[in-house]
Amino acid sequence: MGVLSFSAGTLGAFSLIALAFPFISLFTILWRSKDSLGHIAIFNAFISFIASFIVFCCVWNKEVIHLQTGWFTIGENVFTAGILLNNLSVLMMVLVSGISLLVHVYSLMYMKGDPGINKYWAYLGLFCFSMLGLVVSDSLLLIYIFWELVGFSSYLLIGFWFTRDAASQAAKKAFIINRIGDIGLLTGLMIMYAQFRTFDVVKLFGPMGLVDSASIIDGIWISPVSQMPVVWLSVAGFAFFIGAMAKSAQFPLHTWLPDAMEGPTSVSSLIHAATMVAAGVFLLGRVYPLFDSLVFNVIIIIGVLTAFLGATIALTQNDIKRILAYSTISQLGFMIAAMGIGAYGESIFHLATHAFFKCLLFLSAGAVIHQLHHYKEHHQLEFDHQDIRLMGGLGKKMPVTFISMCVAAAALAGLPLTGGYLSKDAVLITSFEWASGYHGFKKLVPYVLVLTSWLTAFYIARLIFKVFFGKLRYEGITEASSSMSRVLIVLAICSLFILVSFNPLSYEGSWILAGFTGSGVKPFEVFHSIVPIVVTIGSILMVLIGFRIYAKRDGRTFREKGFFYRFSNRAWYLNEAYNLMFVKPVERIAHYSYRFDKLIVDGVVNLAGAGMGVLSRVADWLDRYIVDGAVNGAAVLARHTGNFARQFQSGRLQHYLITMLTLVVGFFILTYFI
Amino acid sequence: MIPLSHFMFISAVLFCLGLYAVLTKRNAIQVLIGIEFMINAAILNFVAFGRFDKATGGGQMFALFTIVLAAAGVAVALAIILNVYKHFRTINPAKIDSLKD
Amino acid sequence: MSPEQILFYFFAALTLISAFLVVTMQNLVRSIFLFFVTIFSLAAMFVFALADFIAVTQVVIYVGGVLVLMLFAFMLSNRELLSGLQAVQTGFKMSHFAGLMISLGFLFLLYMAIASTDIVNLPWIKESQQISPGDNTVHQIGINTMTRYLLPFEVVSVFLLMALIGAAHLARKEKRS
Repeated sequence: MGVLSFSAGTLGAFSLIALAFPFISLFTILWRSKDSLGHIAIFNAFISFIASFIVFCCVWNKEVIHLQTGWFTIGENVFTAGILLNNLSVLMMVLVSGISLLVHVYSLMYMKGDPGINKYWAYLGLFCFSMLGLVVSDSLLLIYIFWELVGFSSYLLIGFWFTRDAASQAAKKAFIINRIGDIGLLTGLMIMYAQFRTFDVVKLFGPMGLVDSASIIDGIWISPVSQMPVVWLSVAGFAFFIGAMAKSAQFPLHTWLPDAMEGPTSVSSLIHAATMVAAGVFLLGRVYPLFDSLVFNVIIIIGVLTAFLGATIALTQNDIKRILAYSTISQLGFMIAAMGIGAYGESIFHLATHAFFKCLLFLSAGAVIHQLHHYKEHHQLEFDHQDIRLMGGLGKKMPVTFISMCVAAAALAGLPLTGGYLSKDAVLITSFEWASGYHGFKKLVPYVLVLTSWLTAFYIARLIFKVFFGKLRYEGITEASSSMSRVLIVLAICSLFILVSFNPLSYEGSWILAGFTGSGVKPFEVFHSIVPIVVTIGSILMVLIGFRIYAKRDGRTFREKGFFYRFSNRAWYLNEAYNLMFVKPVERIAHYSYRFDKLIVDGVVNLAGAGMGVLSRVADWLDRYIVDGAVNGAAVLARHTGNFARQFQSGRLQHYLITMLTLVVGFFILTYFI
Repeated sequence: MIPLSHFMFISAVLFCLGLYAVLTKRNAIQVLIGIEFMINAAILNFVAFGRFDKATGGGQMFALFTIVLAAAGVAVALAIILNVYKHFRTINPAKIDSLKD
Repeated sequence: MSPEQILFYFFAALTLISAFLVVTMQNLVRSIFLFFVTIFSLAAMFVFALADFIAVTQVVIYVGGVLVLMLFAFMLSNRELLSGLQAVQTGFKMSHFAGLMISLGFLFLLYMAIASTDIVNLPWIKESQQISPGDNTVHQIGINTMTRYLLPFEVVSVFLLMALIGAAHLARKEKRS
């Protein structure tokens, strides 16, 4: 890594290149739909990845690069724009661009022949551009802009097949829920600006930054330039967290994510793995110094609740993509919870490993769906090609997909030798260490997380066994095309422990974790050996139970009528609850507003209208008979004058002569007499 | 010896008759004749004054030139009238009003 | 009243009456023939002004040239033209009245101008050398034409040629291209 060395300006240029090339892809929308456009988009993604990688190599664990320039000035206040390259942003950069490159390559085959393929590449480019911009921006204002762009481009991608009603509904849902988060972020932004008069992330949150140096005296939050009651500190923290909640699909704003499965699978993979949902965690990482203990408590509760909720819902889902979506929600809960307990580095670590194995899970599922879809079309069958109950035995026919999915599943379940094992252990162990210093509900946190992790192992095992084991239903189904398989293999290798640490059993050797400041929690050596063993054994047990139930199919299954089953399958009835709590009252308010509008507002308006009518009739009379009379009189006068004058222009020479001579003779006769 | 003023009165009356024809006649040839009257009135004046100009004979000389001009004018005017008739199918100057706006 | 004066006023009356008839007559052919009479009597009056050569020229050019030209033009052109010429509407019109008033006004002006000027006593008339009835005016005109008025004479000759060509060009039948 030390071989490469560039000046700060050059690295800034590289990061801008990484930003610019996906943006160029946006212009493919101008071309007509052609398959060759994909190569352009892949080239752009590749350049972006290379540039990001160079920047990563040069900045990781070295000095922070912060370049900025004046953007605009309002009155006395100068707003700056610039790029901030520290460990967090370069890691995110390489993650985003790498995943996006793989998704691009995968999409080439997956989306082949789609009529709107030019739009697809353009949206994908815009998405990557927005995410990379979000990651490298040094100003909260810029972050907000890119944040909105991420939301917007995800809206475009989720609703890519907008002719399907479900897809456009899902896109709308995602957009609206993200707007709630945007309001949170905007509120946070305004509080920060009111308090510190700057949007600069480094000045605000950097070491010895404004947030650190602000003090709280007698319930007043004092910064060098302003002061306000201390409650605003918590409000700002909540506001930023609401933004992160919406983007990272935390309870209760998580409902858009499962619906977002209506988009193409490659898009789901990109959203889940690296770009959109990571944005929330990233934002928490950026504004981390702002949070006070109250906000941290909320973050922990929400994170743990989301992790548990996601895992329980995923247990009973039958749509392959929905299972993965809820697993994402669950894993994001892990990350948010880790943020809450102060395990900042561990959270980012889990984000990085999760990016790979979740991307791999989605792309493998995509391969399965793709092949089944083609099989269905080829044999002209009618069945839901995303329903795992209708799959089975695909392992023998699709070995590459099977093996790579197994690796990803192992990583998700936290089985040894994978990256997921290391990062999940890091989170769990840190949570145990943290909990040992507290009493009350905080003691519960690590146990819930462990339970969630076991549940995770069970539902992912269920998925694997249902899809790849058992009786083969579809004879003649084939492996996915080689370009898709290659992407899967690359991702499978990345999901193994080797990418993040040389020691397969201990996370402490991981270079990613070394790049971030520690959690500051007092380490207990005892947890470092007990927790991994307990968790791993539990997970393996869960996998075995799953194997018994789903692969062997020895008749032992869960009752599908039970309350818990339905509770889980209906996603805790949250959609219904939201419908009852928000949609119905809004509709009722709208109805009353309509009535109010109809009766009272319209009545007033109509009355005013009638008054105006009378007034205008009077004005009309005045206009018609007085003003028009004068005008018409003038016009008539002009017309008669004109007609009189016209007679002289008869076109007859003799008339002209007569006129002329009349004047001459008249003139001379007059002079004679006068 | 006829007084000069008598010639002038006769030429004045002839001129006004020509003018009347030019202004009122509904036929281009009669208008032309009116013009000829006016020219002849002028010639008569030339000739009458020429009696008092023995040395240079200007009056009679220009009377001659004017007769020539009048003759040439008639020739050209008749050709024009024929063309006008071809074009408008009439030689009534009151009906030829293409100059109208 | 001497016979000279009687003849002069006779011809003057003939001129004016015939001219008046030419102007007022509706029949075109008759008015053209009456035009002869006017021209002839004018030529007679030129003689009383001691311009015998001019009188002869007047007769030759107008009677032998202009009138023949007019008549030939009418007679040789198609019947439609002639019938169109005949069918000119008659009757008194506002424009006739206007023309009459203008003409009378003009006559009034001319009369007042002539009457108010004492022409006989003008200095250049008094001092001038008058042509006497016995002079050979043709001789004088011939000398003047070739000396003093050579340039106008040449100009008029060129002008005449131009008029000839122009009239011939205008009157020719257009070729159907």
